This record gives sequence, structure tokens and C-alpha cells, in this order.
Amino acid sequence: MPEPTSAAPRRGISLDVYAVALALVLALLVRFNLIPPIKW
Amino acid sequence: MATTVPSTHQAGATGPLGLGRRILALIPGLLLLAAVGYTGKIIEQSTAAYTKAHHITFPNIEYVLWAIVIGLLIANTVGIPRIFQAGVATYEFWLKAGIVLLGVRFLLGDILHLGGISLLLIAVTLTLSLTFMHLIGHAFKLKPKLTSLLAIGSAICGVSAIIAAKPSIDADDEDASYAIAAILALGALSLFTFPLIGHLLHLSDKAYGLWAGLAVDNTAEATAAGALYSDAAGKVAVLAKTSRNALIGFVVLAYAIYWASRGQAQVVGNKAVFLWQKFPKFVLGFLLISLLATLGIFAKPQLTSLANLSRWAFLLTFAGVGLRTSFRELGKQGWRPLAVGAIGEVFIALLTLGLVYGADLYLHL
Repeated sequence: MPEPTSAAPRRGISLDVYAVALALVLALLVRFNLIPPIKW
Repeated sequence: MATTVPSTHQAGATGPLGLGRRILALIPGLLLLAAVGYTGKIIEQSTAAYTKAHHITFPNIEYVLWAIVIGLLIANTVGIPRIFQAGVATYEFWLKAGIVLLGVRFLLGDILHLGGISLLLIAVTLTLSLTFMHLIGHAFKLKPKLTSLLAIGSAICGVSAIIAAKPSIDADDEDASYAIAAILALGALSLFTFPLIGHLLHLSDKAYGLWAGLAVDNTAEATAAGALYSDAAGKVAVLAKTSRNALIGFVVLAYAIYWASRGQAQVVGNKAVFLWQKFPKFVLGFLLISLLATLGIFAKPQLTSLANLSRWAFLLTFAGVGLRTSFRELGKQGWRPLAVGAIGEVFIALLTLGLVYGADLYLHL
């Protein structure tokens, strides 16, 4: 009978969390006008 | 590339020095992403300016396509030297950051409306496409776990789903690498075919965006396929694809339980923890930013700035799509897996097109 739970992924902070953190920091910087307007 | 399962999905620095070295190692590849993406943008602008100045009728080819084509040419001719690989692999990071920032362009009500329709269509597509993929995988005598990976990759969410499923169903590295290569290559082909078909069928931006988001496997390619049609279609494609991504955990859990029941994978312990671990967290970030925009936290120029930041993040992503797609990898397991992947893609594309037509007619997109 196989042992339980090692089907779960490795521990550690996922890439998604870093991506969300970066986006939120950028949103705060823009919200409080701490960076100049971003052009495209 | 796509020869190995990307390792950037889990970050785990061993200390300040290790972290510093890891960040330094990303710089060459990041510069390559920026150079390829920005070259695409310059080509788009120069072509548009030249054709306008000389009164030449020429369709506007978006920077998205130029960036992907340049990336594909580099990856499939000279290849990507090792020094660039770590940085190029960050394209998924930029994709996720770009999607979270794109949340400012949605009101929460729009997300609930279109996301709800998407989830309904995804449920139908998932059931039918997973069944179909297993039937043709069996017919073409593929290894069962390779079939599972191809089915997960094409029915739910491309590379992320394959990476999430690999340890859970205890699949071989070789099978996972092949399934990723096939999904990336077929996704690259969809970038050229989807916009063409959409224009031929005169699909509305919403209908096309929904179709691209439901049918194109990988999030980066779905975003690009949407953006190639129009800005509005790109927005809808991202929303539909994000709804699809949210279901990764459920599908992977179902496969993990199935393979464990056959004694060919380890048993899943706490299912709620498993689901949370597999849940793509950027979906929550996307909803949070959309909520903040809906509440009027940002002024109009700030919304424009955040939407432009999202575009810059996508520019890096699209460069990475081309640079990470290798057609060479596809020969390694013969023609059968590719045939299964391609037939599955055509089936899913036709099925979702029919569903989107129906939704447009009865649910009024």
C-alpha cells in the first residue's frame, strides 16, 4: 500500500506569490504617485 | 527549450548570497526577453509608420507576433545559450504579474458575468476533452501516463497543469518534458491559426476572446492569441483562461486519486491542503486588483499606468513564448504523441467554438 501525502508539491513559496507581491507593490507605488506615469 | 520541467516554479534561496547569485543569473535572460520583445514593438511601429507614409495597404501585425516569431527563430536555429536560460524561464513570472495587473481593467461584475459563463463552458469542455484525449491516446497506443499528461495539458492549462500533475501522478521526466514541448509547439501554431479563423468567421471580440481563452492550452499563448485579435479580445481571453486555471487543482487531484487507486502513484493525504497547494495564487491577486479598481481606489491616469505596466509585463512574456518553444524536442518520442496532441487540439478548438457560438446566442456575451 503506498504511503500517504507525498503527492503534495514541494514546500516553498510559489512563483505566483512573488508575481502577486510584485503587482501589488507596483499598484501601491502608482496609487501614491511614487513612480512617474507609465507610458506604452 | 521546454526540454526540462522549469525549476523556477518554486523559489527557495539558501541565503542572501545564494539569492544574490540567483538574481544575477537572471539578468542576461531578462535582457534577452526585453530585447526580443522591444524589437517586436519597434518593428510593429516602424512597419505601421512606413506603410502609412507610403500609402501602402498592409495589415497591422502586432508586436506580439513579431516578438514570438523572433523568439522562435532564435530558439530553433542557434538555440538559447545556457547563460540566458534562467532569465528566459522567468517569462511565466511576468505573465502572472501582468495578469494580476490586468485586473485593473475589469470591474468585478464583469468578472462574475464572463467568468461564470466561462466556468460553465469549461465544465463541459473539460469532461468531453479529457474523455476524448484518453480515447485517442488509447487508440494510438500511447503510454497511459503520457496520455494523462497530454490530456491535462490540453484540456485544462498547458504547462502549469503538467508541472502540477507530474509529481502527483508520478510521471516520468521524459514524458513530462515531451508533453510540455508538444503543448508549447501546438500552442505556437494556434497563434497563427486562431486569429485567422476568428476573422474568417467574423467573431466579436468577446466571442473570440472567450474561444481563445477556452481552447488555447498555455496561459501565455492564450493571452497572445487574444491580443493578436484585438485589445478587447485579449482581455476576455485572459479572463477565460484564468477561470480555467482556477480548476487545475481539481483535475490534478482527480488524476492523482485515479493513479493512486491503481497503485502507480502516492496516495493523497489531506485533499483540501492538496487543492490549496495546486491553486494558482495569481488568480486571487487578479481578483484583488479588480476589486480595488471597482471600489475606485485608483484615479483614471493611475488605471492607465497599471494597464501599461501589464502590457510591459506581457511584452516580456511573449518574447519568452517564442524563446521557450523548441520544435526539435518533438521528434524524440515519434509521431504518435504529437498526433494525439494535435487531434486533441483540433477537437477542443471545434468543441469550444461551438460552445462559444451557443453561449453568444443564448447567454448574450
